Amino acid sequence: MSGQIVVGYTATEAGEDAVALGARLAAASGSELEVVVVLPADDRSVITPPDASYDRYLRDLAGSWLESATSQIPDGVTSRTNVRFADSFAEGLLAAAEEFGASHIVVGAANGGLRGRHRLGSVATELLHSSNVPVVLAPEGSRRVDPAVGVTRITAAIGTRPGADALLEEATSLAESTGAELRLLSLVTVDLPASVDTGVIQVAGAAHADQVLSQARENLSGVTEAEAVVGRGDSIEDAVQHLSWEPGELAIVASSRLAQPRRLFLGSTAAKMLHELPVPMIVVPRTRTSEGESR
Amino acid sequence: MSDRKGGAPLAPTEGKDAGGISSKGLSAGTIGLLGAVVIGISCIAPAYTFTAAIGPTASVVGAQIPAIILIGFIPMLLVAFGYRELNRRMPDAGTSFTWATRAFGPWVGWLAGWGLIVATILVLSNLAGVAVDFLFLLIAQITGNAAIADLAAVTWINIVVCLLFMFGATYISYRDMQTTQKLQYVLVTFQVAVLLFFAIAAITQAVSGNAFDFTPFDLAWFNPFAVGSFSAVAAGLSLSIFIFWGWDVTLTMNEETKDPERTPGRAATLTVITIVTLYLLLAVAMIMFAGVGTGELGLGNEDIQGNVFFFLSGPVLGPLAFLVSLAVLTSSASSLQSTFVGPARTLLSMGHYGALPKRFAAVSPRFFTPGFATIVSAIVASAFYVVMRIVSEDTLWDTILTLGMMICFYYGITAFACVWYFRKQWFDSTRNVFFTFLFPLVGGVILAVLFFTTLIDSMDPAYGSGSNIGGVGIVFILGMLIIVVGIVIMVWQAIKRPAFFRGETLSLDAPASLRRARK
Repeated sequence: MSGQIVVGYTATEAGEDAVALGARLAAASGSELEVVVVLPADDRSVITPPDASYDRYLRDLAGSWLESATSQIPDGVTSRTNVRFADSFAEGLLAAAEEFGASHIVVGAANGGLRGRHRLGSVATELLHSSNVPVVLAPEGSRRVDPAVGVTRITAAIGTRPGADALLEEATSLAESTGAELRLLSLVTVDLPASVDTGVIQVAGAAHADQVLSQARENLSGVTEAEAVVGRGDSIEDAVQHLSWEPGELAIVASSRLAQPRRLFLGSTAAKMLHELPVPMIVVPRTRTSEGESR
Repeated sequence: MSDRKGGAPLAPTEGKDAGGISSKGLSAGTIGLLGAVVIGISCIAPAYTFTAAIGPTASVVGAQIPAIILIGFIPMLLVAFGYRELNRRMPDAGTSFTWATRAFGPWVGWLAGWGLIVATILVLSNLAGVAVDFLFLLIAQITGNAAIADLAAVTWINIVVCLLFMFGATYISYRDMQTTQKLQYVLVTFQVAVLLFFAIAAITQAVSGNAFDFTPFDLAWFNPFAVGSFSAVAAGLSLSIFIFWGWDVTLTMNEETKDPERTPGRAATLTVITIVTLYLLLAVAMIMFAGVGTGELGLGNEDIQGNVFFFLSGPVLGPLAFLVSLAVLTSSASSLQSTFVGPARTLLSMGHYGALPKRFAAVSPRFFTPGFATIVSAIVASAFYVVMRIVSEDTLWDTILTLGMMICFYYGITAFACVWYFRKQWFDSTRNVFFTFLFPLVGGVILAVLFFTTLIDSMDPAYGSGSNIGGVGIVFILGMLIIVVGIVIMVWQAIKRPAFFRGETLSLDAPASLRRARK
C-alpha cells in the first residue's frame, strides 16, 4: 500500500488510541503517518471576539501536543505532524486526507468508552457520514496494545447488499499489504428474515461463504491465507460475540446503502457490530473510485 | 457631537510602526467590516446594558442621562486608543494583566488582571440575573398569565433558574459552540430593531398623552452642567462606562480582520454611532414616557431600577411587549458567551505566566477553550450571585454600581500602563504624542478620579439601593472586599509562586525610541 495514513489527534486518551493504532497499521502496511490536530477556524466565532494571540497560543500548544504524540510512535514508522484549521474536526481531517491522498483516516473512540469497546464521538460520527476514504475507528484501550502485535488478521463482514464488492476489494488489498490473514464473515444468515427455515439459512450461508471465498482468492496473490466463516446467531451482535478475535485483528465493514456513492454512512449492521467489536473497525465507502484516490 | 468625530480618525494608521506584528501564517484576517460590527454590538449587548444601567443613572443624574451618555464615551474612547496601541505592540490573550505587568511589574499587573476578572465575573452574574427576569416575563407575556412574571422575584426560584442559565452558558462556552454567522446577524439586527421600535413607540405614547409621567423634551438633558453635583456626574460616568464596555473589542481586532489598516477603525466608528444613537433615542424616549421620578414607573423608582425594560415594556408596547423580552433575552444570552471569554483568557494567561496555578493555563484538548478557567469563572459568578441575591433584594442595581467601579479600576491601570510602557516612544511622532501619551493619560486620569470619587461616595449607606451593612454602603463594602480579597490572594500566590513576582516569567519592558534607530 505504502500510502499515507491520516491520524486525527487530540491530546486525550482517545487521541493516543488513534495514534497507536495508526502507527501499528502504518508499520504493517509500510505507510507513512500524518498526525493531524484540527483547530477551530477563526471565522467560525461569530459571538466571541476573536483573538489572534490566543489562536497563536493554541497553535503552539497543538505543536507541543503533536510532539508528545509522535514521541510514542515506534522508530520504524515515518510520521509528520500537521496543525490544521477548519470549522469542524472531521472537516479538517477530510481536507487533510484529500491533500495527502491518504488511504485511511484513523480516529479514536469518544471519551468514556468501555475498555476495548467502541463508542462513537461526534467527530467519528461526522466522519462516518461524509468520508470518501476508509475510516479506522480505534476502540478505547488501543494505546495499550503492544506495537509488536502488528496486524495478524483481517475480518471482513460481508453481506449480500450493494457495496460488498468494494469491501471485498479493500479487505483483500489490506490483507495483502499488511501480510495478515483474511477471514471472510458471511452475514447472509443474519441478513435473512427470521421466518426463513433454519435449514435453508444454513445452506444459503455456506453457499455464500464459499462464493465470497472463491471471489476473494481470485484477487489474492496466494501468499495470503484466506478462510470463510458463516456468522451464527439470531442477531449481528450474537454473530460477533460467537467469533474469536485476535489482539492484532482488524474488522472491516462496508458503509450503508443509504450512503451517497463514494461516501461513508454507518449502516445499522455496522453500527450493531461496532457495539460488540473488541477490535478496531474499518468502515469502507460503498464504491471505491476507479481513479483510486490514493492507492 | 465631538465623540463621534473622535471615532473617525482611528481608521488610518499612519504610524511607521503600525501593523508590525506578523501573524505567523495563522488563518488570520477572516473578519470583515460587518462581522466586526456584529461582534462589537453583541459584546456591548445594548438591550441588556441599557435595561440594567438606565435606572441607576437616572437616579444619580436625573434627566441629564443623554449628557452623561455622551461624555461617558470620552474616557472610554481615550482608553481604547491606549488599548489599541498595547494590543498592536504586545498582542496577548491576557490583555490588561500582561500589559500592566510589562509596564509596572508583577504586582500592579496582577491587580489589573484581578480587576478585569472580577468585573467580568460581576457582569456574568448580573447578565444571568437579567436573563432570568426576562425569561419569566416572556413566558408570562406569551401565556397571558401575569402571575408567572412575579415568580422571578421569589428568591429560591430565581436562584435555581439563574444557576441553570449559568450552567448552560458555561457548557456552551466550554464547548465553544457558536451559532451560525447568519443567525447572529439576525439576532443583532432584531435587537437593534426592537430597541428602535420601543423608543419610537414610547415617544408616540408620550406625545399622545398615554404616558405614565409625560416629561416634555428639553435640550437641557444634553447639558452635563445641569447635573447638580460632581459626585453625581462621577457616579453617572462610571455607569455610562459600563454601557460602552465591550466596544473596545472592535478597535483591538487587528490581525483578525481582513483589512487591519481600515476595518477596526471603521467598525469601531460604525458600532459606536449605532450604539450612541440608540442609547440617546432610548434615553429620551424613556424620560419622556416615564419621567425620572420615583413613582410606580418612574426611572428613579428603586424597585424597577435594576431592570427597567422589565417594567416599562408592557405599558409602552402592550401586546407587543414580548418582543422586548425576547430581544433582551437573546442579547444577554449571546453576551453571556462573549463575556465568558474575557476572564477565561486572562486566567489562562495568568496561569501560563505562573501568576496563578498552572491548571488555569489548561486548554481543553477537544474544544480548545480555556476549560478550567471557564469553569472556575462560572462557579465564582454563580456563588457571587447566590450570596448577593440572599443578602440584598436590589442585587442587580448594586452589582452594576460595583461593576462600574471595577471597570474604572482596571481600565485606568491599563491606560496608565500604555502611557508608561511607551515612555521612550512618546515623541517619536506627532501621532505617538497623542495615541501613546495624551489620550491614554487623560483617559486614565478621568477613570482614576471616577474610581476614587465613587469609592468615597459609596461609603454613604444611602448610596445605590440603600442597602448597608453596619452603616456603610454595600457598594463600598463590595468594592473594598473585592480589592482586599485580590490583595490577599496575590500575596498568597507570591509566597507559593515567587517566580512570576520576581519578574522571571514576564519582565518589565519599555520599547526603545525608534527615532534613534532610524538615524
